[in-house]
Amino acid sequence: MRIILAAAAVLTLAGLAFAAPWLQFVLTLAIAKGFAALGVAVLLRAGLISIGHAMFFAASAYGAAFLARAGINDLGLLLILSVLVSALIGAIAGSFLVRYRAIFFAMLNLAVSMVFYALCAKLYGVTGGTDGMPVPIPAVFGMVFAEPAFKSILFYLSLVLMVLVGLVVHRYLDSPLGHALSAVHSNEIRLEYLGIPVWAILLIAYTISAALAGLGGAVAGFAIGRVVPDFAFWTASGHLVLIAVLGGIGGVPGAFIGALFLELLHSAAVTVTDAWNLFVGMTLIAVIMFMPQGIYGLFERKEAPSP
Amino acid sequence: MAFNGISTAFARCLSSLQLLFRLDRGLPQANLRLVVDGLAGALAIGLVATTPVAAQDKPSSVGLGIFTFTSGPAAAYGMPGKNAADLMIDEINAKGGIGGVPVTATYVDEAQGAQGVIAEYRRLAGDAKNQVMVAALSSATCLALAPIAEQLEVPTVGWNCDTHQLLMDGKSKYVFRPNGNTVPEFIAYAIYLLDRKPDVKTVAIINPDYAFGHDAAKIFTAALKALKPDIEIVAELYPKLGSPNYQTEISRLTTARPDVVFSNLWGADLENFVRQATPRGLFTSSQVILALGETILQRVPLPDGVIVGVLGDGWWMSPDAKANPETVKFAEAYKSRFGEYPVFPSIKMANTLIYVKAAYEVAMQKNGGKWPARAELAGAMKGSKVATLTGTVQTRADNDGLVDQIVGVTVKTSAQPFPVIGDMVRYKGDSLLPQAGQDPLAWISSLKPEFAKGLPKPGSYKIGER
Repeated sequence: MRIILAAAAVLTLAGLAFAAPWLQFVLTLAIAKGFAALGVAVLLRAGLISIGHAMFFAASAYGAAFLARAGINDLGLLLILSVLVSALIGAIAGSFLVRYRAIFFAMLNLAVSMVFYALCAKLYGVTGGTDGMPVPIPAVFGMVFAEPAFKSILFYLSLVLMVLVGLVVHRYLDSPLGHALSAVHSNEIRLEYLGIPVWAILLIAYTISAALAGLGGAVAGFAIGRVVPDFAFWTASGHLVLIAVLGGIGGVPGAFIGALFLELLHSAAVTVTDAWNLFVGMTLIAVIMFMPQGIYGLFERKEAPSP
Repeated sequence: MAFNGISTAFARCLSSLQLLFRLDRGLPQANLRLVVDGLAGALAIGLVATTPVAAQDKPSSVGLGIFTFTSGPAAAYGMPGKNAADLMIDEINAKGGIGGVPVTATYVDEAQGAQGVIAEYRRLAGDAKNQVMVAALSSATCLALAPIAEQLEVPTVGWNCDTHQLLMDGKSKYVFRPNGNTVPEFIAYAIYLLDRKPDVKTVAIINPDYAFGHDAAKIFTAALKALKPDIEIVAELYPKLGSPNYQTEISRLTTARPDVVFSNLWGADLENFVRQATPRGLFTSSQVILALGETILQRVPLPDGVIVGVLGDGWWMSPDAKANPETVKFAEAYKSRFGEYPVFPSIKMANTLIYVKAAYEVAMQKNGGKWPARAELAGAMKGSKVATLTGTVQTRADNDGLVDQIVGVTVKTSAQPFPVIGDMVRYKGDSLLPQAGQDPLAWISSLKPEFAKGLPKPGSYKIGER
């Protein structure tokens, strides 16, 4: 049942983008943000809220821009390298950030990401300041495509990646490493007594979540064609947390459902009114009030066996 | 059309979800229905999308996508633009529209950031009715949209963004900017300053902390150093955008005691700065230059003798503007509708719409009265020379516009309750711009002090002299 549902959803997405070409960009962006929100959701399992994951999102997009400037011009290579860049930054930042819990973890993430933001905005000669850097269209396996074709390739690639990465993360969350995350949330001391290194588990989770955010950032960078410091601003991080909570952290699809919902809602709201912020905000309040488990919670509850 | 299809498909999918979860749970055909529904939905949408669009008949309306800030702090600058667009479009439609077709605008809020703006741009571009985009206010938006405009082949006219990077490669086919760039805008202040105060020694700069502020500081400094090599920059301050408090910066400026304080703060930031700096005597101890000062003349009591300008020729009270009945009418209509006279962002927007209208007229003339395609419109913009409300704009080979630069100082007159610009100069657009393709900063550094000698002097731009 779930598989069919998921397959139908992916097919619908593919069809939607085919139908309205402008929607393809919105959907690509939604999937990209879904990756990043999935990263946030992984940490949320351990009860850790990161209000700084936009840093990894931006780091990987900037990574792609810098690598492209350095002459690397292949989509696959750029994607892999820029994800590695953000994973590396994640491993370094994580090594000291995962020692903290609760509000301290959230605030330190925020602080580190704002330092990164400030560097991007201030190092005018290197990063182009607030005007940002271009992310040129790369070749795909040596073939050079025009813009519309490349954007279609990028969209379908991100769709495929969404399924593949989703499955991998699903496996990860279902593994001992993944289950240890909820254990950290419920009783960390007991976990230590069982001989499980909490620090290592969280560092692995943090690095994975940074890599996921990085994957999203790289896709977004290619889709937008330009990376600006705003990618790393704290509101963008808050946006990712919002997507994760909105979609529901019960399962991998939650992050993508949340991202799609929010992006489509945004697109619909701006076409209607100048007060689109109000519109989006009110809908969010409604969702949070009436669906505490997130949107994905609706699906889950139906699946649960009745007592 | 496409929307209907999509919403029908969505409704079908949603209804099948309901079946799946509530009513038909457990029944095998539910699964099947869902899959069939999904496929049918996708197919339906596909059919809708591939319905061909009627080619080049006269449409029922001319669609324009207009990008500006309608929310957030930058709306202080964006709303005068939107107001002017509303008014100008009403005026165009009152005269029968463009080629007999009324104009309708869709506004896009740039405050939603590059991602949202690009999504909206693509959506508008997907509708064949929207042939031209007027985008955008912010340089970052223009830079983000430019490659997409080229790729989607939609004529895109920058109405305010002025970064010199935008058209630097000279390869643009679809991106136009009929309002000039930062290079002439800020060189003009250096020349005017040196003409008015030839013995200036020390200069301090306070600009907003983003690309526009840094670019302006670089250009202004380079021009000053080239024209008067012994000038010293004693302070460069970059308060962050939207800062409520400038007391620290003002203290730095007053202790540095520079001969000149240059600033390209704008919007609420500029109002805040002026209100806080006036009581602390900054305007009496230093000659202040407010590059975007014209926008606050009607709002804040600026003292006499502050060097202000309009980043172009868009001063609604300039001698050229006064001599043009259209401009006078526009300014009065603007005042009666919005309670204030137009500021230069309003004029920039109005002039840009005149530029777009002219492109339609030329394109239709060229192809024998048929309704022009997007490529024909871009072709008509190429190299065009258009009379605007406040002067003329000449499109160069690199699609950048040559507009004159007006600079002056604040003076009080009996005619208006607020200070106006006096002792004006009007520099010719081409005299302050490097050749297309030339590196602007290298060009500025190569200028010699003699460069300014051939240019008009402060006070030379008066009514009746042109």
